[in-house]
Amino acid sequence: MTGRLFQFGRRSRDMIRRDVDAELQFHIDARTDALVREGATRDDARAQALREFGDMDDARRYIRRMDTDIEHQSRRRDYVSELRQDLAYGIRMLRRSPIFAFTAILTIALGVGANTAIFSVVHGIVFKPLPFPEPDQLVRVWSANPGANSRQAPVSALDLDDWRAQRTQFADIGGWWFADGGSGIDLTGSGDPQRLSVAFVSPGFFPTLGVPSLIGRLPREDEMVRGGDDRVVVLSHGFWQRRFGARQNVVDSSVTLNGEPYRVVGVMGPELRFPSDRVEAWVPYSTIPDASIPRIRPVRILDVIGRMKNGVALPQARADMNAIAGRLAVTYPEDANWGEATVTLLADAITGNVRRGLVALLGAVGFVLLMACVNVASLLLARSTVREREVALRLALGATSGRLVRQMITESLLLSIIGGAIGVAGATFGSRILVALASGQLPRTSEVGLDVTVLVFALIASLATGVLFGLAPALRARRSDPQVALREAGRGLVSGRGQRLRTGLVIAEVALAVVLIVGAGLMTRSFIQLLRVDLGFRPANLLAVNFTISTSRHTGQAHRLVYREMIDRVRTVPGLVSVGAVKNAPFRGNGERIGFVPEGLSLGAGEQPPTAPLIHVSDGYFAAIGARMIEGREYNEQDGALRVAAPGGEPVFSDTPSLIINQTFAERHFPGGSAIGKTLSFGENRVPIIGVVNNIRQTTIEEPVQPTVYINNMMNSRVQVTLVARTRGEPLAMANAVRDAIWSVDREQTITSITTFDQIVGEAVARPRLLTVLLGLFGTLGFVLGAVGLYGVLSYLVSSRQREIGVRIALGAPRGAVLGMVVRRGLVMAGTGTIIGLVAAFSLTRYLRDVLFGVTPTDPATYALVVVSMLAVAVVASVIPARRAATIDPSIAFRGE
Amino acid sequence: MNRDAMELLQGTLDVLILRTLAWQPMHGYAVSRWIRERTEGTIEIEDAPLYKALHRLERAGCVSAHWGLSENNRRARYYRLTAAGRQRLKVEENSWRRYAAAVFRVLEPA
Repeated sequence: MTGRLFQFGRRSRDMIRRDVDAELQFHIDARTDALVREGATRDDARAQALREFGDMDDARRYIRRMDTDIEHQSRRRDYVSELRQDLAYGIRMLRRSPIFAFTAILTIALGVGANTAIFSVVHGIVFKPLPFPEPDQLVRVWSANPGANSRQAPVSALDLDDWRAQRTQFADIGGWWFADGGSGIDLTGSGDPQRLSVAFVSPGFFPTLGVPSLIGRLPREDEMVRGGDDRVVVLSHGFWQRRFGARQNVVDSSVTLNGEPYRVVGVMGPELRFPSDRVEAWVPYSTIPDASIPRIRPVRILDVIGRMKNGVALPQARADMNAIAGRLAVTYPEDANWGEATVTLLADAITGNVRRGLVALLGAVGFVLLMACVNVASLLLARSTVREREVALRLALGATSGRLVRQMITESLLLSIIGGAIGVAGATFGSRILVALASGQLPRTSEVGLDVTVLVFALIASLATGVLFGLAPALRARRSDPQVALREAGRGLVSGRGQRLRTGLVIAEVALAVVLIVGAGLMTRSFIQLLRVDLGFRPANLLAVNFTISTSRHTGQAHRLVYREMIDRVRTVPGLVSVGAVKNAPFRGNGERIGFVPEGLSLGAGEQPPTAPLIHVSDGYFAAIGARMIEGREYNEQDGALRVAAPGGEPVFSDTPSLIINQTFAERHFPGGSAIGKTLSFGENRVPIIGVVNNIRQTTIEEPVQPTVYINNMMNSRVQVTLVARTRGEPLAMANAVRDAIWSVDREQTITSITTFDQIVGEAVARPRLLTVLLGLFGTLGFVLGAVGLYGVLSYLVSSRQREIGVRIALGAPRGAVLGMVVRRGLVMAGTGTIIGLVAAFSLTRYLRDVLFGVTPTDPATYALVVVSMLAVAVVASVIPARRAATIDPSIAFRGE
Repeated sequence: MNRDAMELLQGTLDVLILRTLAWQPMHGYAVSRWIRERTEGTIEIEDAPLYKALHRLERAGCVSAHWGLSENNRRARYYRLTAAGRQRLKVEENSWRRYAAAVFRVLEPA
């Protein structure tokens, strides 16, 4: 290693060329001289020297090549050894200042960790291609009713068959019916009876996805149609492992579903979790009897995907579907209003409504990383001032400035890689916590994890961070003049440039913090607005038990009696205040859409009746959930009791049917008077309204309540039941008693889920809560980092200008003026940063528009609050160093070093 | 010159150069003269392969080179044996001696 010290500088290509020529020339000259001395003429001597030498051109070429090799070798060796030196030196420096190292590494770990965690989530949900072959060819298709402004409606099974038959731009089209907690099938036979969560799929479903089965096979076309051998089931990987212990011989075995034998034809791979993570099996849609879901055009229930043919783009696919829907609208009166179709890429459809929020998060967390960079850069700068003498010494001893920059960057990279590694370790937990926080309200969470892309992201983030925060101090070191530095370092005089750079960093930091805090503030206000929304019912102490009454065991109208009996039995359970039931609990489905004609409205020719969701309820439901009747009454036990109606089909009512409507419905269709006693017509049926209930949020908390119609489940029966029970104490403590009461009616009744309404509401706000918690966290981080940065720079300023301040005090400057000077300085920095930050926030927060509720992205109150709090923090951060400045002992100015 | 002879010559030349430089650092011309004088013209040596060998040995780390002044004050490239070169010389010398001894045992009648 010592040899290196006396190494000549690097040899360029030209230098090698010149050296080789000089060496060979020397040889020829020396030999010629010798021969001349022996008595030869100069020309003869030269000729002989050349002859003795041999092929000089070949030798020259060969030697040059050798020397170039030697040069490369030594450069490589130097580089490696210098890197090793730099690393060893860097590690020594970090060890020598453990507090600095700890702070810097922790800051970077936080920054990189938070970014990696968020990125892993966003990547898994938004960026990663869907786990299907050629995912770009997959689209989501909806029926559209432009008149009712219903653009994304489910599709009727009959329409789907026609779409599939008439398609020209699609390789295949398939549909499914899946409702979490709604679409299920009872598995009996071996082991405990169990309610399976099932997707009922049409013949085109599997071919459209294009994913082969893991074992066994996919159902054939003739096994998925009415009249075919359609009692077949495909198992999900998870269910196969849980229930069948991953046994291969499950294929071709028979299982009992809804009391009938089904053949297991195949098992899908673990990556196929479509349409939901919770699907346990796929069963042909054709197995659903008309009595449950009538196979008629107005029953629009299927979700549809299509695979575009090779080379077909979205516009052609749209044109194809619209043409088909248009033809169907002409052919079938039931489809008259449904002459269009909506087609979007499947990836967009799955992640569309969460993408904005997630990308906003990614942006915000990127700001946190930037702030971490700025803070570490600021730390490094403060340290580099301390190290100025060391740098100057090395420069004076002949280190090149490039070499010093490399040393600095190596140290920064060392910090960033250690910090990044810790951050990534943290991110593995972080991303799991994020997914858990989302309470199942994010799609594709099973695909979230640390894969290669995420790790590459983390590596790039770490390296970029290291270069970014290492660059400023490194460049400063490069420019430092060794003479000046050696003279001044350690004497407490700071170069103006360093001070300016630090000031710039603090301003940038405050600006970044303001953007983060504005984002956090907006999101928090939005979340508060969301929590303030009047749900229309009281979720506290409310138990929800979800199940589906079997029509295969309770045939004919028996299931109605079972329904009635179950409610009555549960009402006898002690500890319950009130009990009711509903088909779709709030935030658990939208009811069924029906068309109606309100009394007093006459439709013009060809005009379609308005539509509204219809929700099936029991007597006492509104009292049980804590809703309020505005007018009239809700159903009682006499309404619809033991009356018989035709099974399924269009709403068919018992002989004295009646309806309850919500407030919005009353205001929309019966403005300026009482709706009680008015009627709605459904075809031939005119049904009177007996009550108006307050608005109950049904779809989501954010969406305004639609005009809604409620009907007594005893009049128009459905077998999907959410039994709601208001309890005196903790609701889940009553779960067993309620379940036993249900089982006392039907021992084999499967229970889909038991939960509380607090939980249901919690899930409904899970996404905004996640955004709020994270943005709040980032905002807080921003606040702290900004304040610490400001404090750090001002304290540094005060301590480096001690003498100057001392002189001022000695010359009679009042201490108040000194205090004011420092605080002013802090406020100017904070103020500048705040203004820049406000401008940036103003242009950036519009990306939050889609995820904000009840607050505009430019909400003046939020901005004002942010300005006030940022400046308040700036004052606090400035006052501490300012007070120290004001109490400087003037004698310090005259003390020697 | 056929390929095999070249190989042989190369090996021979390397060990001769290393041996020569073992005395003291010298420039290429001096190495050339020294070897010629010691072999008394028995072996026909060209300078081109000699210089190629010198630079090849430099790449292999057996010699190091630096510029210095020659006897008549001209810039000349001096070669010095490195520790690795000394090691290599020892190995090559041994194998040459064993080789030569074996050859002599065959040539000299018992």
